Amino acid sequence: MMVVLYPPQQEENIYIRQQAQAWRRSGLITEEQLRAINDHTDLQLRQTNLFFRLLFLVFTLLCAGAVVGLFVWLLDFKDANFIAVMLICFGAAFYIAAEYLAGKYLFYRHGVEEALVVMAMVLFCAGCGILLSENHLTLTQLRIVVPALLAITACWIYLRFGFLYAAIISIVALSFIPFQFNLSPAVERILLFSVLCVIFVFSLLADKPDLKNFRKNRYAKIQACLLAAMYLTVNLEIPGFSGSIMRDTHVVHLNAQLFPPSIYWSSYVLTFLIPAAAIYWGIKNRKRLIINVGLVMACVTLATNKSYLGWTRYAWDPAILGIMLVGLSLLITRWLDSGVDQTRFGFTARDILKPEEGGITPADVAAALTPGVIETQQPPAGAQEQFYKGGTSGGGGVEGKF
Amino acid sequence: MNAAKLLRKLRYEKKLDSGQAELLLNLQERRIISVHRELRFFLYIGILLIIAGAGLTVKQYFINLGDAAIISALTLCFAAAFIYCFARGNPYEGGEVASPNIAFDYILFFGCAFYSMDVAYIETQYHLLGDLWENYLLVSVALFFFLAYRFDNRLVLSMALSTLAAWFGFTLSGQRFYFENYYRLYAIAYALIILCCGVLLYRIDIKKHFLDIYLNFAAHFLCIALLSGVAEYKILSLYFPALLLACAALAFYSVQVRKFLYVLYAVIYGYIGISIVIVDQIHRQTFLLFTYFIVTSMLVIGLIFKLSRRFKENQ
Repeated sequence: MMVVLYPPQQEENIYIRQQAQAWRRSGLITEEQLRAINDHTDLQLRQTNLFFRLLFLVFTLLCAGAVVGLFVWLLDFKDANFIAVMLICFGAAFYIAAEYLAGKYLFYRHGVEEALVVMAMVLFCAGCGILLSENHLTLTQLRIVVPALLAITACWIYLRFGFLYAAIISIVALSFIPFQFNLSPAVERILLFSVLCVIFVFSLLADKPDLKNFRKNRYAKIQACLLAAMYLTVNLEIPGFSGSIMRDTHVVHLNAQLFPPSIYWSSYVLTFLIPAAAIYWGIKNRKRLIINVGLVMACVTLATNKSYLGWTRYAWDPAILGIMLVGLSLLITRWLDSGVDQTRFGFTARDILKPEEGGITPADVAAALTPGVIETQQPPAGAQEQFYKGGTSGGGGVEGKF
Repeated sequence: MNAAKLLRKLRYEKKLDSGQAELLLNLQERRIISVHRELRFFLYIGILLIIAGAGLTVKQYFINLGDAAIISALTLCFAAAFIYCFARGNPYEGGEVASPNIAFDYILFFGCAFYSMDVAYIETQYHLLGDLWENYLLVSVALFFFLAYRFDNRLVLSMALSTLAAWFGFTLSGQRFYFENYYRLYAIAYALIILCCGVLLYRIDIKKHFLDIYLNFAAHFLCIALLSGVAEYKILSLYFPALLLACAALAFYSVQVRKFLYVLYAVIYGYIGISIVIVDQIHRQTFLLFTYFIVTSMLVIGLIFKLSRRFKENQ
C-alpha cells in the first residue's frame, strides 16, 4: 500500500495551477494563457475555495462532535473503559469516512475530510488516554504516552493526507515529552533541542533536488517551522521578554538562576547563530520562507538581547528597534533598486507577484486597532500636578497646602 | 510534468512569448525572488514599533519630559510626515493610485498615528473641549478620511473607521466594548452609516477598491450588535428578523460578486443567531439539542456543497 493518498502528479498539477493563478493576478499572463496552462494540468481531485473549506471544516467538526455526544448520552455508560472504547471506535469510523471521501470522491483540502481526520485523531488519542489511565498507568506515564501517541497519529496523517498542520501538531506534541521527566530545565531544553535537530536533519535528507515542486514547498514549510521551534527552545529570555511587554519595562532576567552559566551563555550565542544560519542557508538555497523565518528570529534576538545581558529595558527600546527595521528595509530596497535591472544576486524589491485579495488584511486590522491602543497609552490627567504637589520631585515631601 | 517543463512546452507551442516564458521560468526556478512583500512587512512592523515606543515613552516619562517637549516633538513628527506625503504623493485620482515608493503608505500611517497621539495627549492634559472632548475624534475622523482618499491609503481608512467607532463609544479601554443597552443601537447606527458611505462612494466611482473595508467593518458591527440583541430578547424582537435579513443580504452580495468571505460571515452569524433562538425554544433538552446540531450542520454542509458545485460548474 502506498502511504501517500493522492497521486503526486495531481498534487503537482494543483501546485502549477496555483502558481498560474498568481501569475494571472499579477498580470504576467493573459486569461487565455491561464486556460492553456489549466488544459495541460488535468485535475481530478476536488477542491474548494478557502472560505467554503473553513465552513466545511467547522460544520463537519460540529456534526461529528454532536454525533459522539449523542451516543455517549444515549448509551449512558458509567464505565470509563466503555467510553474509551467507544471513542476509539468513533475515531476509527471517522478515519475510515475521511479515507473513503478522499479515495472515492477525491476530496482534496475540502474541509470535510480534514475535519473527520482531525476528529479521528483527537478521539483516538482521548480514548487511548482514558483506557491507559484506567489501567494503572501513572499520571507521569500518561503525560508521556498521550503526546507520543498524538505525535505518531499526526505524523501518519501528514504522511497519508499531506496536511501541513498535522506535521506541526506532531512536532508540538513531541515537544511536550521532554518536559514530563522531572529533569532539570537545562536538560529538558537540551533534550528537546536534540530531538528537533534530529527531525530537522531527517527533513534535510528527505528534501532531495529531484523532488516535485509541491513536495519541496512542503518541506520548506516544515523546515521553517522546525527552525522556529529550535529557536524558541534555545532562547531562554522569551518568557521574560513577553512578561516585560505585558507588565513593566524594568530589568527582566528571569531564567538566569535556573540555568548553569555555560548553558545560559551558549543559548545566548545560539540566539544569534540560528537566525544567521537560517538567513545564510535560505539565501544560498533560495528558500524564501527560511529567509523570512530567519529575519523574524533575528528581530526577536535583538528584542531579547537586553534581557540576556541583564541590562535595563527602557520605554523607547521598541522605537529604537523599529527605527532599525525601517532603516534596514529602506537600505535594502535602495541597494536592490540600484542593481542591474533592479536586481542583485537574483533578489529584487519590485512587486512582481501580487498576493490574493481577501477583502481585509491583518495590516488593515492592525491599523484599525492603532488609535485604540494610542488612547490606552495616555498618561492620566492631572498626574503632573499631583507629582509636583506631593513633593515626589523633591522638596522633602512638602505639600502645596503647607 | 512540472511547471518549468510546462512553461518550456508552452513557449515551444508559441502560447507564451519568449520574454514572458523567461520571466516565468526565472520566477519558477527561483533565479529571481521578489522580496517586496517582506520589505513592506518589516517596514510596517518597524513603524508599529516606533509608534508603540513613542507611546510608552510619553506614558512613562511625561513628567520628566514636560508638556512642551512632548507636544512639540509629536507635532514635529506628524507635520514632517504630512509635508513629505503632500510633497511626494501622486496626484489624486478616483481609481487606484500606486504609491510613489515602498515607504510612502507607512509614512502617512506614521503621521496619522502621531497626530492621534498628540491630540490625545493635549486633550487628556488640558481638556480644551471640556465635556465635549469626544468631539476631537470627529476632527481626527475627517482628517483621516481626507488623507486616506487623497493618498489612496487603506491603513489610514481603517484608522478613520475605527476612530469613528470610538466616537460612537466603542473603545479598547472603556467598558463599552460590549454591546449592551443603547450601545447596541449605536453599533447598528454606526454600521448602517459606514455601509451607506461605502456604497455611495462606490456608486459614484470614488476609490471603488475601498468598499471591502467598509463592508467588513459594517458586517461585523451590525451582525455582532444584532446577535447580542437576539441573545437578550431571543425571538421576541426585531433583532432576529433583522439578523436573518442582514445575513441573507451578505450571502446574496457575496454570491453576486463572488467574494466568498461574506458567505463565511453570513453563515456563521446566521447559524449562531438561529441556534440561540432554537436552543431557547427546545428548552435545552439534551436529545433535541444534539439532534438539532447534527441535522442543521449537515444541512449547512449540503447547502455549501451545492453552492460550491454551482460555482465550479459556472467556471
